[in-house]
Amino acid sequence: MSNKMDTIWSKLDRKSTAIAEFTMRQYRTRVSTWVVMIASAVAIFLMLLFYIEAMNSEIEAIDNDGDSFDSDGDGYPDGQERMLGTNPNSAEDFPEGVEPDPPEKWINEDDIEWGTLGEGENYVGEDNDGDCKSRETSSQKDSNDNGIECDIIVDIDTLNSTINIDSDTNVDEDPDEEKYGKEAGHRSFILGIGKFGIVYLLGIFLPLFLATGLIREEMSDGTIHYMLAKPIARGEILLYRMLGYIGITWPFILSLCLILCLITGFTGPGDGFFRWADIGVWMTIAWAAMMVSLVYGTIFCGFGIIWKNGVILAIIFAAWELGMAFVSIFSGGDSSIRYMSVIGWGMIIVDSGVAICWPDNWQLIEAGMWGGGHGEENWLGLTDYQPLPGAEPLSAFSGGSNLGVSDWIAFVISSGVLLFQGIMAWFIGQSIFKGKEVD
Amino acid sequence: MTDEESLETPFDPVVSKEESFGAETPVTGKTKMQAAWSADSDDSNSTAQVASMSQGQIFQQIYQPWEGTLNPRWMRNWAILRHHVLGIFRKGHRPWNIPTKLFIFFVIIASMTDVALALLFGMIGEASLYDIWGVNRDNMYGHVMGFFPRNILYYPIVAALLVGGMISEDRAHGTSAMYFSRPINRFDYASMKFLSVALILFFIIDGTLALYYFADILVMGKGWAWIIDTFPMFIATFLCGIILSFTYTAIGLSLSSISRGRFFPAIGLVAILMGTRAMASIIDALFDKSVLYVISPYDAVAHVCQALIGTEMTYDHPWVWSLISVIVINGLAIYLLANRVSSLEVTRE
Amino acid sequence: MMPDITQHGTAETKEWEPVANTPVILFDRVSKTYGRISALGGVSLGISGGVTGILGMNGAGKSTMFKLMMGKIKPSSGAIRLFGTDPWKNPAPYSRIGFVPEHEKLYDWMTALDFVTTFARLHGMTRDEATKEAERVLSFVSLDEVMHKRIGQFSKGMRQRVKIAHALVNDPELIILDEPLQGCDPLARTTIMNVIKELGAMGRTVLVSSHILHEIERITEQIVILHRGRVLALGNSHAIREMLDQHPHKILLDCEKPRELAKSIIDIDEVTGMSFSNPEKLLIETKHLGEVHQKLPQLIIDSGEKVTGIDNPDDDLQSILLYLTGGSI
Repeated sequence: MSNKMDTIWSKLDRKSTAIAEFTMRQYRTRVSTWVVMIASAVAIFLMLLFYIEAMNSEIEAIDNDGDSFDSDGDGYPDGQERMLGTNPNSAEDFPEGVEPDPPEKWINEDDIEWGTLGEGENYVGEDNDGDCKSRETSSQKDSNDNGIECDIIVDIDTLNSTINIDSDTNVDEDPDEEKYGKEAGHRSFILGIGKFGIVYLLGIFLPLFLATGLIREEMSDGTIHYMLAKPIARGEILLYRMLGYIGITWPFILSLCLILCLITGFTGPGDGFFRWADIGVWMTIAWAAMMVSLVYGTIFCGFGIIWKNGVILAIIFAAWELGMAFVSIFSGGDSSIRYMSVIGWGMIIVDSGVAICWPDNWQLIEAGMWGGGHGEENWLGLTDYQPLPGAEPLSAFSGGSNLGVSDWIAFVISSGVLLFQGIMAWFIGQSIFKGKEVD
Repeated sequence: MTDEESLETPFDPVVSKEESFGAETPVTGKTKMQAAWSADSDDSNSTAQVASMSQGQIFQQIYQPWEGTLNPRWMRNWAILRHHVLGIFRKGHRPWNIPTKLFIFFVIIASMTDVALALLFGMIGEASLYDIWGVNRDNMYGHVMGFFPRNILYYPIVAALLVGGMISEDRAHGTSAMYFSRPINRFDYASMKFLSVALILFFIIDGTLALYYFADILVMGKGWAWIIDTFPMFIATFLCGIILSFTYTAIGLSLSSISRGRFFPAIGLVAILMGTRAMASIIDALFDKSVLYVISPYDAVAHVCQALIGTEMTYDHPWVWSLISVIVINGLAIYLLANRVSSLEVTRE
Repeated sequence: MMPDITQHGTAETKEWEPVANTPVILFDRVSKTYGRISALGGVSLGISGGVTGILGMNGAGKSTMFKLMMGKIKPSSGAIRLFGTDPWKNPAPYSRIGFVPEHEKLYDWMTALDFVTTFARLHGMTRDEATKEAERVLSFVSLDEVMHKRIGQFSKGMRQRVKIAHALVNDPELIILDEPLQGCDPLARTTIMNVIKELGAMGRTVLVSSHILHEIERITEQIVILHRGRVLALGNSHAIREMLDQHPHKILLDCEKPRELAKSIIDIDEVTGMSFSNPEKLLIETKHLGEVHQKLPQLIIDSGEKVTGIDNPDDDLQSILLYLTGGSI
């Protein structure tokens, strides 16, 4: 019995490698394969240039609380006057015997330091410049009434996914735009180019170009007859052709992501020599793109089998997926229609990977959107905070898996769903192929 | 010499047979080949011998140039153009496939939604809704250049379906040889293919635009003052429609000329139009820089059109950059097309 | 000469039990219709052993028959059995079959050896086995000198032979060749014909389709004539012709003095008529071609006339079809 199994397995193995190898060599001889790959690489590196430029340009430091300004013109910045207890609005009242600070000292003087936040109320924040602690009464120092002077209450309610920030006056009120903007810009670039550029665009255009004709072109050329006249089931032909397709696309996606990981890892902001945590994010992006391109490839190849103008079906499907890509990227994981798509599950892979590798990502977004707590009151009486530079794109391109399970399980589930979609597409494709009359 | 018994030979053995063709013989198709090879330059008749079965004979081959009158060039080109364009709605011309025809029909209907809504609200006298849908600067821009759904679902897809097999299938099926074995040069061939795709797109885009504009004038009874006010806008938008259909056609046909099969050009066109725009919008969203939009054909044309029509600019870089980009994109595409068609090998590939 | 439906080969089976009393190929009232067009109408046929030529005009249903056999299309009614197995949705019988499709397109970027090796591996061979087998079959079709060249550089005849080689690589018991001689020059034709004859001599069942009778007759005498989706005749080509007695056969003699020759030929009983279509030609009509051909040489020698050529002008497919269909092709 085991001998019998051996022969079946080894025969399968021989057939699979023969067709997969043949398919890969066939791709290699086609100019269009190279054009598509080179064009997509060029496009992605073109976008990388913008990233590198952004990383190397200064972000203008903004005085969020306005205390570097010398309102009364006595030479002392408002912040210094306020801290030393003199009236910043009176030219006669200034701290005596103290050298006036240069105004730059009062820009970005109180950065956001929240540490790691947990569920419920967190009391965080530190008054770096001392302009909270210098206030007179303790009720002034503790304007959020939690009994701790000069702190911030960050109330996290995971169940309703709401975050409430209530800070004492003048705590963490003038964050460092350069530091925050670089970090947020770096992350949002990885997420933007990763989710939209690699997982969606590469994940859909590679299969559109390379997989749609995988069987159909053989059929219209008449070369499929050589394969169909061999003792191999049509479902197997489809499977092994897909194997060859994976053999071309997966290494391409993986190497592109690795190169991007290396470049951004060294260019990106941070204290370390290399941004190690990014590797995980890039790998989840690569994995999502690989899975998505596998599912799309099988579906498009199936469209090609069904109909000689299968490319029309494929383009219509791609348009649907484009809509779903927008929904699942920009809804931040709140929509459930994305479960009806391929790309939605691909995005869940990335989102859960990001949550694993950058556990502080959501916190970074919240801090940036809060931005020191300055802003105008809206008609509801709430404050519309002025976000820090980079916070909005980061928030736009980030999302949560929202599956109600832990990130690791979400990662496994979404990969499993994509695999299932791929298998279903193969199964439907092969049963159509099997019953197809090939002239 | 022959009788009923000669059934055994495939054709009647004829020792020699005279056939005459004069320069004045009309080129009707039937005798064209013979006429092309054997007529004299003067009016005298010439002889063509048909070989007999019994003896072998070697003919001296003297080919004389045919100097009869051929239909004028525009007429031959017109025939090609007609063949392609009429195929959309009539049998017996280029057999466009059914999905392409259906989709074009759908797009024509869908591009007329603004016409229908403007007329509807105009006629029931709903002034506020008519203001939204009626003819104005933004709506005319939107009719031609609106991104969703017109320039993501309608026009690029129509262009992709049209250019799909335009040149590549001719090459793959060997039918380009049918053109090139006739008195048609490659430039005419390519330009007529180009013109026919561009014309179909033009009819869809500018035809519905003109309908929108003129229907509004006629039905709503607009006065001369209004017409004088809006006509320059209309002309500018019309011109934008021409630029748009020209650009899509140029990119699509150049892709069609470099590839085999119908998949690559169709997907390629959609990929170029959507991919570049998507890239540019990612960069715009991340780093607040709109300059990458110059590589997106749609956005370059849209930017130029915003300048032409005078609507609010949605891009930060100067519109002249986009104008240069439109020229460069079209120039590159046309160069590629011309280059490929002139070096096209007339074989079945 | 007619193949017997009940006869069966001693086919060596690999993975399944042999089905007794079945010919290699069995068509049982097979019809195939495309919409309202009938491509094959109720064909019943059994073929085993030797080379069989499938003859028919374009559109007679030859390719349809092959496609049905190869499981590429599904019969509208009736049953097809290859080695007793239904080929539709079942690739199992193909391990014993070699198929040469009529399509000319090949993978031009591959070398002949690569091509044959790749497809040999689909039979479950390892890479080494496949390469060895590929080299063997390529030298069998005498392409061993060019097997490392790209197929794109090959001439039409060489491409046909590559296709034949790829079909032979699994050492098949049944070889199906769809128009293998089409578009080849005489030299390539001869090579391919020899290959086919050799295969027949090796005891394989070979099916060759063509629309040219002479080509097929140079390979085999066992023919099946298809016309408009029906089997018109089947068996030995000469026997078929012999059976068509009601129609006079014609023999055309090229000679210097036809009238002199005619005087001696008139003595043959079977000759029913003579005519002189040309000053140097004599046309003899007969209903018994075989007998006349037996007696004719001696008579010519006896008469002492100089005869430069003997030809059967109606010896092609078209005239046979004319007879078989009663004059309406």
